[in-house]
Amino acid sequence: MEQLYAERLKRYVTAMRNEKPDMIPIRPFVAEFTAKYAGYTCQEVAHDFEKAFVAARKCAADFDWDAVVGNMVYVWTGLTQAIGLKYYGVPGIDIPPDTGFQYIEPPPEKAFMKPDEYDQLIEDPTGFLFNVWLPRVSPDVAAIGEPASYRNNLSFLKGGMAMLSYFNAFGKQNELLRTESGTVSAISGILKAPFDIIADKLRGYLGLVTDVMERPDKVLAACEALMPHLLHVALSGADPDKKVPIGLWMHRGCVPFFSQEHFDKFYWPTLKPIIEEIWAHGHQVLFYAEGDWNAHLNAFAELPEKSIVYHVDKADIFEVHKTIGHKFCISGGIPNWLLSNGTPDEVRDYCKKVIDGVAGDGGYIMDASAIVQDDAKIENIKAMTEFTREYGVY
Amino acid sequence: MAKQKKPKRKPGVCIPWEEKKKELPEISGDEELIKKVWEDIDGLGYVYIWQCLLSF
Repeated sequence: MEQLYAERLKRYVTAMRNEKPDMIPIRPFVAEFTAKYAGYTCQEVAHDFEKAFVAARKCAADFDWDAVVGNMVYVWTGLTQAIGLKYYGVPGIDIPPDTGFQYIEPPPEKAFMKPDEYDQLIEDPTGFLFNVWLPRVSPDVAAIGEPASYRNNLSFLKGGMAMLSYFNAFGKQNELLRTESGTVSAISGILKAPFDIIADKLRGYLGLVTDVMERPDKVLAACEALMPHLLHVALSGADPDKKVPIGLWMHRGCVPFFSQEHFDKFYWPTLKPIIEEIWAHGHQVLFYAEGDWNAHLNAFAELPEKSIVYHVDKADIFEVHKTIGHKFCISGGIPNWLLSNGTPDEVRDYCKKVIDGVAGDGGYIMDASAIVQDDAKIENIKAMTEFTREYGVY
Repeated sequence: MAKQKKPKRKPGVCIPWEEKKKELPEISGDEELIKKVWEDIDGLGYVYIWQCLLSF
């Protein structure tokens, strides 16, 4: 098993360095699909991470995949409930047990950060998160000045212990993936762009749309204030062996959610230096470009060669390959709608088209376009896997 | 990143050791040991809030 693991790690890392391995590595980011395959509900894998781990390992053992994430249903709703976080739709509580967990963005007037609070965030991001943001996202947490409560104290105690328990369990999960099926843990560490995190969890998308017009200097200063913290978190979770990348989850900083001008002014100048610094430390970053970021390929091409792996969701993968394929490894590009609604033959045809178009010189990793949920047909995931193994040998 | 303004509270830190030290009587033992353990555990508090923001 250890030899298989070594072969897969070499294959995966070689492709990520934009070189040609022995065959195309397969690294599907499978989330609720694992539940479907292993016979669990969405509620079970969201709320009981041990079941999610079992499901991920079952898929890894049964499919010939080189690398996976130990639990792509990453948000353990037992933990979010312990903290009291109110922005998730939890399967079996807020939504049906057969629906994947949902993020619920509040309306602009109930955003977790108010428009006149930028200076507080800029002055002390960590203090702002503890003192202002957390009490807003968790009704259990008392705001500064409010009396402490039983529920407040328990939120920190249970939340802290649950988070530690969850993170520690990943070490064991990754070891089991290695020893049971020779599967590589695909990523290590987390990064989000400063601009994206303001939209995601602080001002909300609509709030930020207003802010870039009405208080652009504050938005830029807030992005800059977040930069050193996001860098620190990314590096503290990075692979000490510097083999697998840090995951960058790209959300709504692109055209058409924002204009090219806003991307150039806010998003890129406050993300690019983080990527360059991470690369200076010897780590790659996986740009998980959810949606279509092709309007910004020329910006990404400014980054040092091999510093990123670029994952393609809804964008034209052939344009991606043409524009940045000479510098960076590409992954993904097999549409989720096809995996959900197509036939195995159609999946094979699409995989052939992608492999022929972008994988000829190596530097390509097979994956679906977006995280695979329980709508994907098992026979289509098998077809994607088996065809890549048959056709993707160099 | 070199051009960035120095943050008031450094990354990885919730309560700086220098601030905590002022609350303590004169340290007769190994200050470096106490400082290291303080900072290691303080860092867990930092992980908690930033992971809440980024991951959960």
